Amino acid sequence: MTGKEISIIHPRPSSIVAALYTLRDLNVDVAILHGPPGCSFKHARLLEEDGIHVVTTALDESGFVFGGHDRLVELINKSVELFNPKAIGVVGTCASMIIGEEMHEAVLEANPDVPVLEVEVHAGYHNNTKGVLFALESALDAGIIDHKEFERQEYLLKKATDVEKKFGAASKEYLAPSRGDVKYKVAKRVLQLLKEGKKGLVIMNAKKETGYMFADITLAVNEVAAALGKKENLINMANIDPSLGLPRVRQHAEYIMRDLKAHGVEMHEIIGGMDEYPVAGEMVSELIKEKYSDFDFAVITGVPHAIPMEHIRNMELISVTNGPRQVLPLKELGHEHVLVEIDLHPKTLGVSEIVESEFGATLREVAKET
Amino acid sequence: MKKQKIIAIYGKGGIGKSSTASNVAAACAEAGKKVMIIGCDPKSDSSITLFGGRRIPTILDLLRDGVNINEEDVVFEGFAGVKCVEAGGPEPGIGCAGRGIIVSIQKLKSISGDLLKEQDLIIYDVPGDIVCGGFVAPVRKGFVNEAYVLTSGEYMPLYAANNICKGLSKIGMPLSGIICNSRNASREEEIVTKFAEEIGSQLMAFIPKRQVVQDCEREGYSVMEKAPESDIADIYRKLGKAILENNNKVTSGSLSDERLRELTN
Ligand SMILES: Nc1ncnc2c1ncn2[C@@H]1O[C@H](COP(=O)(O)OP(=O)(O)OP(=O)(O)O)[C@@H](O)[C@H]1O
Ligand code: SF4
Ligand SMILES: [Mg+2]
Repeated sequence: MTGKEISIIHPRPSSIVAALYTLRDLNVDVAILHGPPGCSFKHARLLEEDGIHVVTTALDESGFVFGGHDRLVELINKSVELFNPKAIGVVGTCASMIIGEEMHEAVLEANPDVPVLEVEVHAGYHNNTKGVLFALESALDAGIIDHKEFERQEYLLKKATDVEKKFGAASKEYLAPSRGDVKYKVAKRVLQLLKEGKKGLVIMNAKKETGYMFADITLAVNEVAAALGKKENLINMANIDPSLGLPRVRQHAEYIMRDLKAHGVEMHEIIGGMDEYPVAGEMVSELIKEKYSDFDFAVITGVPHAIPMEHIRNMELISVTNGPRQVLPLKELGHEHVLVEIDLHPKTLGVSEIVESEFGATLREVAKET
Repeated sequence: MKKQKIIAIYGKGGIGKSSTASNVAAACAEAGKKVMIIGCDPKSDSSITLFGGRRIPTILDLLRDGVNINEEDVVFEGFAGVKCVEAGGPEPGIGCAGRGIIVSIQKLKSISGDLLKEQDLIIYDVPGDIVCGGFVAPVRKGFVNEAYVLTSGEYMPLYAANNICKGLSKIGMPLSGIICNSRNASREEEIVTKFAEEIGSQLMAFIPKRQVVQDCEREGYSVMEKAPESDIADIYRKLGKAILENNNKVTSGSLSDERLRELTN
C-alpha cells in the first residue's frame, strides 16, 4: 500500500476538459457533454474554434433526480442531424456519473451510423490526464487508434503526470499565480547577451497546439540575432517531429516547421513529437551534455520544467511558460528569468500558423529601439 | 470457457436477501463450487454470518483512506471457502451510497479480474430499495447475467417484487426466477407460485420461516455452518443446486395492482 497524494488546494485542469481536448485530437466532430449546462463552459466554447462542436444535455435539477437518458438519446440524434459528424464523443460529468447514468444504453438506443466514443469521466481525479486516458481507451475500443499508439500515449501521460508532480503545478499544496518577470527587461537582457556574442540555445518544448505561439519566440530570438549578425551563436531545438502523435498533432508540427523555414530559421535539433513534451527534456539534456555544454544562456519555452537541470544549471535561463502557477516552481528550480504568456492557449486554437507572442513582440520592439 | 453464474437477488427491504444469499453461497461452496459473494449494501452485512459475526474491511473504507488496494486487502475467505467482498459505503444520510457501489465494483474488477473469472457462482447482494442508479450498476454495467427476485406471499413484498420485475424488463435484464421466503402468510406457496407463473417466470424454491435462521444469525453464523442438519439447510442446498442448473430466462411481465390484490386476498 502506498500513501496518500498531497492535497492541492488550487483548482487545476479538469479531467472532463482533458477528455474533450483528446476527442478533438482524435478528430471527433461533435462532443456531447452529459451534464449540467454550465459544465466546462469556457473550454467548450474555445474548442469550437478548433472545429469541434461541443453540446450539452443540460441536465437540470429534475435531470439529476430522474436521470437524463431520454435527453441524451435525443441529443445524439439531434447532433447527427445538425452537424452530420464523422465521429461523435459522449462525455460524462460529475453530475451524470454520480447518479449512475449508463451512457452506453443511450448510445445503443440512438444507434447512429457513425462511431461513438463514450468517455465515462468526471472532474474528481487528482490528475487530469485520467480524462485523456479514458478517451484514448474508448478510441482504442472503437479501433480509431491502434495498440501501439495507445501504449505510447499511456507512457507519455504517465511521464506528464510525473513532471507536474515533481516540478509543475501539482508539486505543492498551494502555488500562488504570478505573471512572472517584466518582459521588457528580459528582452533587453536577451539582446545584451546576443550583443556580447554569448552563445545561446533556443529550445521549444511545447505541448501540442501551444507551439503555435511558443514558436514565435524562437522566431523572434532568431530575427533579432540575425539583425545583430549573431545568428551563428544560436542553436535551435524544438519538439516538432511531424511523424509522431495523433494526426492533428502531426499537422501542428508540420505547419510550425513550415513557418520557421519560411522565415529562414534553421532547426538544428528535433527533440521529439509535439505530444512528447514530458520526455523530450531528457533528449535535450543528452544533447546538451554531448554538444552544447559550453553555452552561456538558454531561452526555453513551453514546458521548461520538463528539462532536467543537470546540464543547464550553469547557463543563464530565460523561460517562458503559459501557466501562472508555474512561475514559482521554475524560479525554485533555478530559472533566473521566468515569463508568462498570459492567455496563450485560446489564441492557439483554430490556427494553422505561428501566432505572435507577447515576448516575441517585445523583443522585436526593443531590438528596434537600440 | 466454463459457464459462469453471476446473479443478483432483489426483493423488498428486510425480506431475507442477505441471509438467503449467504446460506446459498455456503451451500454451493460446500458442494465444491467456487463461490463469491459481493455485498453492495452500505450496511455491509452480506457476509457477516460467514465470518462468525466479524465484519471485513470494505473497499470504500480503503479507498477513503487513499491507499493502494490489492486483492488481499478486500477479498476474504469465509465459511466453506466462500470469497467475500463488501463494497461498503457512507453512513445513512451522508454522501452518495449509489456512487459508492459504482466505484467499488469497478475497483474490484480492476484488482481482481482473474479471481472474478475463476468463480462458478458470484452473488451480488443488493439492498432492498433500489433508490438510485448506483444500486443497479452491477446489472447495468453488464456484471450480472441472472436476476432473481425474493418475496413472501404478503401483499407488500409482492408489490415490491412486481415493481422490481417491471424495472428489470425496463433495463433489459431478464428474470431467472422467483424465490419465496416464507413469512407464514396463508396459502403462501400457492400465491407466489401463481405470481411467478403469471409474470412468465418460475418458482425456484419455497423457503419456510424457521427460528433457527435467526438464532444462528444472532450468534454470527449461517445455518449451513451452525445447523447443517436442519431442514432449512437442505432447502438452501437444493436452491443452490437449482440456481446452478437453471437455464430459464424470461423478459419479465408484471401484474396490475388489482390482480395483485386479488391474488393475495
Ligand atoms: N427463512 C427465514 N426464516 C426466519 N428468518 C429469516 C428467514 N430469512 C430471513 N430471515 C431473517 O430476516 C431478517 C432480515 O433478513 P436479511 O437481512 O437477509 O434481509 P435483506 O432482504 O437482506 O434486508 P435488506 O433489504 O435490509 O438488505 C434477518 O434477521 C434474517 O435472519
Ligand atoms: S462539478 Fe463537475 S459536473 Fe459540475 S460543473 Fe463542475 S465539472 Fe461539471
Ligand atoms: Mg441485505
